[in-house]
Amino acid sequence: MVLQADVPRLEFRDLTVDFGATRALDGISVSFQPGEIVGLLGHNGAGKTTLFNVAAAVISASGGSYLMDGTEIPGHTNPAMIAGMGMTIIHQEPALAPNLSVFDNLFLARKVSGSRKDRVALATDALERVGATVSLDQPVETLSLGDRQLVDLARGLLGGELKVLLLDEPTAALGLAETKALHDLIRAFAAAGTLVIYVSHRLPDILEVCERIVVLRAGRLVVDDAASAFTPRKLAEALVPDVMADAFEHPQVGDEVLSVAAPAPIAFREGEVVGLFGMAGGEQFTLLERMFGLHDPFRFTLDGRELTISSPNAAIRHGVLLCPADREKDGLIGGLPAAVNVFLPWYGERDSRGWWVDNNTGKADYELARRELNILGPDGTEPIDQFSGGNRQKHLLARWMIPRVPRVLLLAQPTQGVDVGAKVDIARMVRKLARTGTVVIIASAESDEISSMCDRAYVMLGDRAQLVERGPDFDESLLSTLLQLAAHSTAA
Amino acid sequence: MFTTGKLKIFLAQNGIFIALILLVALFGIMNPNFLSLGNAENILLQSVELGLIALPLAFLVMTGSVDLSVGSIASAGAVTSGMVMASTGSAVLGIAVGVGFGLMAGAINGFLVSFLGLNPIVVTLGFLSVWGGFALMLTGGKTVTRSDLPEDFREFGSATVGPLPVQIIALILAVAIAWYLLNRNSVGRRVLAIGGNGRAAFLMGIKVKQTRFWLFVASGLFSSIAGMLLAAKVQSASPTLGSGMELHALTVVLLGGVAFEGGVGRISGVIAGLLFFRVLRNGLVFMQASPFLQTILVGLTLVVAVALDSSIQRIVKNSWAQLGKKAIDEDKPDQDEPEDSSRVRLTV
Repeated sequence: MVLQADVPRLEFRDLTVDFGATRALDGISVSFQPGEIVGLLGHNGAGKTTLFNVAAAVISASGGSYLMDGTEIPGHTNPAMIAGMGMTIIHQEPALAPNLSVFDNLFLARKVSGSRKDRVALATDALERVGATVSLDQPVETLSLGDRQLVDLARGLLGGELKVLLLDEPTAALGLAETKALHDLIRAFAAAGTLVIYVSHRLPDILEVCERIVVLRAGRLVVDDAASAFTPRKLAEALVPDVMADAFEHPQVGDEVLSVAAPAPIAFREGEVVGLFGMAGGEQFTLLERMFGLHDPFRFTLDGRELTISSPNAAIRHGVLLCPADREKDGLIGGLPAAVNVFLPWYGERDSRGWWVDNNTGKADYELARRELNILGPDGTEPIDQFSGGNRQKHLLARWMIPRVPRVLLLAQPTQGVDVGAKVDIARMVRKLARTGTVVIIASAESDEISSMCDRAYVMLGDRAQLVERGPDFDESLLSTLLQLAAHSTAA
Repeated sequence: MFTTGKLKIFLAQNGIFIALILLVALFGIMNPNFLSLGNAENILLQSVELGLIALPLAFLVMTGSVDLSVGSIASAGAVTSGMVMASTGSAVLGIAVGVGFGLMAGAINGFLVSFLGLNPIVVTLGFLSVWGGFALMLTGGKTVTRSDLPEDFREFGSATVGPLPVQIIALILAVAIAWYLLNRNSVGRRVLAIGGNGRAAFLMGIKVKQTRFWLFVASGLFSSIAGMLLAAKVQSASPTLGSGMELHALTVVLLGGVAFEGGVGRISGVIAGLLFFRVLRNGLVFMQASPFLQTILVGLTLVVAVALDSSIQRIVKNSWAQLGKKAIDEDKPDQDEPEDSSRVRLTV
């Protein structure tokens, strides 16, 4: 049900947000009515988070205006003031203090007024309205994720009428029953006049609960239509980004040299680049971690030998190298020189076997890495922090590609957060490695990253993996296969 | 030429050398006898034990860990070896037992911290008390006196090779080994990597736990050796001979610019910190300051060292960050996408 009122609940007029030289939102004009449930879609970096942050006054716009109930929200408004006006954001991981009780969390950010008895009544009422069956003095860390989200939601209800509810991938980590309960709750709020804006990468969820769908691409609003006008196919089309035009030839693919049995049987051939595509934070990343020995000892077959890998050290000894997704947290050592960052795992294998190391150790490899990956920036003796994001990413990749030729190279989102030029350099290097016989496996949650580098891909969801061969509509095939798998798992 | 940013970094990283020169000049002006060659040798001799303890500790701190039990290990190492010498009359046997004790005490710390993942401050604070009490219990609170120690052991305390006391040679040797390990052996890079980003180091196949374990073993070994050297020098093994050394050693390490959070450190800095600390104490003796005041000043120096540590690391980071911004601005063809898109939150 859509309540048609004259004054929109939220309205953005020609909204523009700049981060330095980059335009994150570019002239967005859109309005939302009370009682609507709107799905907000877009690729990573399309501007969804930025739009939420403007709405919640976490950041202020560089241009244009933002109105709530017809009143313009001035630039100096802070998040607490917006919350006071009746807006609540629910994130995938609720921002609660885990060690405190439900009751304490509910009143954590509020001025305490009235007696404790009044507050208990208020809290109980709010929890009832969101359908949470939790006890007030229970520590939050003992609650399930779904219940934590409900507590977060209840916190938003304490202020009175809930006018706007922003959901940022709320179901990403929820089970089927919890998802359904959340959707029922959303519908009930909308029926009472709350505007709900829903961001999710689960397209079936969006199609199930939303009445209207808005798609952002590169900071612009490109689609705004009723949900009934969409099929999954059309949605996927709307989401496929402009594919990088750097075509490549299929290499001479060799024999099958690597195979894993779990979570699904997958085989890899020598000299090919295979994508593993799935949800954000999905099974494709877990598989890479398992092969690198980060979980329980993992068995797979490589070059006819049965290997059991139980630590990164063991994986590296067998030539199985992992380039992690989060370069700052898991990859680079901030204060150390750039060249050391590249050569660090290999000191024991070269020249003096690590017994005599100076600035010349590994220098030839470092120079080669700079040429091969087109690395720009200061000298290699400067700390790695001194390089820009794209060049830091290239250093991380160089560590696992250049000093030693990997037998199996596992790449987790290797082109995330880098500019187009760097993407091309990285893709070229990946293809080159594959031609020399390395098995390259790329795990990603972005179809364009897979399609720009891979010869074929497995779409992974749960314990299922489905092969998609490279074709003219590789991107779309990946997305629609994922949708099929998702639909199947929802039905099951 | 230095830019202002690089000058700031240089000053922040080398302030201890300037401070050392200023301190020496200050004491020199106040009492010219302070600047004599004899006093210089005296200061070096007094630096030996503390240096032997501070160098391995510096490596531990560089990995982001710490060992507070070093003073008690020194005491207990000295009295165990002293007791063995007193009962057997063999210096070699006594030293062997002292070495063995140091290895064992270090291995216990290393096992508990590295392999069981216990907090290093708490574990080694506990063993500060354990080994301190052990030394007192073993001796009944009494000192192993001069007459109980074998003659060759006592002679070793004042032995010289040419003009150089053996003790100073031991310190120079330890400094050379530490410098080699940190700067010219792959171990040094690994140690800094572990302290700089332990998770990334582990994902590079670096044996994080084993490295820390062996550093704890080295710390125990060198602490015990330092205790025995001190006993040989003062010709007696007191069960409290090493007490307070953990504070002194940590002060030296932090004064020397080793970051308490790990990942940053230089041997030259630790040496400068060591000399600063010994010069300060020696100068106070020259000025006939009260020993109680000295204790107060030692504590204050530690606090100042910690405060300097955090501000030094901040200044260095900020200055680098500003330099980096400039470098990236100049590096036009490589503009990055906004921060927002580097997050690993993806949408299908």
